[in-house]
Amino acid sequence: MIKTEGLSKTYVTKIKKGLFHKEKKKVEAVQNLNMVINKGKITGLLGINGAGKTTTIKMLSTLIEPTKGTAIIDDLDLKKDANEIKKKINMIAGGERMLYWRLTGKENLWYYGQIYNIPKDILIKRINKLLKLVGLFDDKDTPVERYSKGMKQRLQIARGLINDPTYIFMDEPTLGLDAPIARDLREYVKKLADEEEKGILLTSHYMNEVEELCDYIYVLDNGILIAEGSAKELALLVNDHKILRIEIDELSFELEKAINNICTQFSGEVKYTRREQHAEIYLTTKEDVSTSIATLLTQYNASIKKFLSEEPKLEDTIISLARREKNV
Amino acid sequence: MRTRILYATFKRNFIIQRRAYPLEFFIGKILSAFYTVLTAYFMYNLLFKGQLNDSFSEFTGTSDYMSYVILGGGIYLFVVGTFLNVSRSLITEMRTGTIDSLMIAPFDRVGYFFGNMLQQTFTTSMEFLLAIIISIPFGINLTGINIPATILAFLISLVAYFGMSLILAAGMLYFRDTYISQNTVFLAILLLCGITYPIEYLPQWVQYISHIIPVTTSLNMIRNSVILGMGIPEQLNNFGYLMILAILYSVIGFKLLKRIEKIALENNLA
Repeated sequence: MIKTEGLSKTYVTKIKKGLFHKEKKKVEAVQNLNMVINKGKITGLLGINGAGKTTTIKMLSTLIEPTKGTAIIDDLDLKKDANEIKKKINMIAGGERMLYWRLTGKENLWYYGQIYNIPKDILIKRINKLLKLVGLFDDKDTPVERYSKGMKQRLQIARGLINDPTYIFMDEPTLGLDAPIARDLREYVKKLADEEEKGILLTSHYMNEVEELCDYIYVLDNGILIAEGSAKELALLVNDHKILRIEIDELSFELEKAINNICTQFSGEVKYTRREQHAEIYLTTKEDVSTSIATLLTQYNASIKKFLSEEPKLEDTIISLARREKNV
Repeated sequence: MRTRILYATFKRNFIIQRRAYPLEFFIGKILSAFYTVLTAYFMYNLLFKGQLNDSFSEFTGTSDYMSYVILGGGIYLFVVGTFLNVSRSLITEMRTGTIDSLMIAPFDRVGYFFGNMLQQTFTTSMEFLLAIIISIPFGINLTGINIPATILAFLISLVAYFGMSLILAAGMLYFRDTYISQNTVFLAILLLCGITYPIEYLPQWVQYISHIIPVTTSLNMIRNSVILGMGIPEQLNNFGYLMILAILYSVIGFKLLKRIEKIALENNLA
């Protein structure tokens, strides 16, 4: 288990003021962060840009030192036992970094295997296993520069597993990937947690990805932890309203007026979008009004194409949480 | 030092170099060796008309300018090669986005840098040998060479160049620049360390600076061993002095690099 205890990071940046004068400015990237990452679970770390996600991952990865606080990784202290911790962790970043493009996929894994001092016989077996796992075995002798984006990202995952880490930090692992490749990668990530018992910390801008994968989520805003819980629990924190999405053939003025009345009655909001062939109605209300609306539509003989009761999306939740924090 | 990292880095660089510059690399090496010798030849025969001031012999102990300058040029190739490979290694990792994946590992810097240096020494040695072969018709004289002294001088010199390149690497990483830093250092070495002329021609205060740059003593030792045939006992002071400089530069280099690495990784985020 990884447990952070008041993990904080302050950067000192220099801002140019005039030709020769530079002013120092303190930036508190992460403040007093307490979080837990369990083995066999996927933990999400969310926040809008500049929230402190990458700084947190780099601190946990021993790449940068915390200014205050620490993390305990399987009884090892991040500050005191960095060299031992390095053997237990690895990081997978999005984009096309962390690989040597002139080397083949196999040579890349071989080089990183040497860096981790993995015994020769184990390394050969592990390279072959990982290449098969990520579906690159047939392309193992092709230089990485000839790989597609998806292939490079899959090799990244293999690289991140070369030392058989207990914990993997994934920073935007599906960044810029096409939907089918991203879906495959999500499946690998799920397998890593479910079947191989890896503890995974995941950051992503794709909320559906986080919602699909993460067992538990931490939300950062300006370096401060503002919420935590499962996707459903987080949604409940801010979204106590119900969403109703309806599509009908024709929206009469009378029906619109009747829907408005129900909305007002239940402190809700309604948005109408009229298209050529149909109209869309998007309702958010404090209480479930689906029965009242369905009755109303029947009374007005509306031809219903869609009638969906939706849960609030994680994306809306994060934005609401960040807004709420600013207002406080 | 972990020899596996040394070997792996040596092999990695070799493969990358071979794939990145298959033909251009080979032609480039031949040309740079040829240019070094040709420049020396033109300087001596066209600029100096084959005539040298008596002071040259007085300062160097020889009147064989061609051998003097070809060795100077060859050693300069080694220094430049070491700097280009070792000094630029970490900033190149940073630019290619591989620095995080290295630093997150239990990464042995000594093995890594030595791997970089040895791969460079291997390729530059080929270049140096080529320069020597090309130099034979231009008049290099190796008849009086003292082989043990030459080998020892060369080995200590490599460590000294290595130490210098670590300090330059820290500078490059801190300023996030390669071209201005490396070219300034290359020019300083060319002007101050006696590559094409004895440093005794320089003002006295500049000579003090020359003596704290290891390349000056290294060149003196190699020339003394190759051209004048001087043995190890006759050059003990020089060997000792260069050894001290080599250790000093390496220790300062590693310490500085460790500090700068942290700053560089944080600046990546700040």
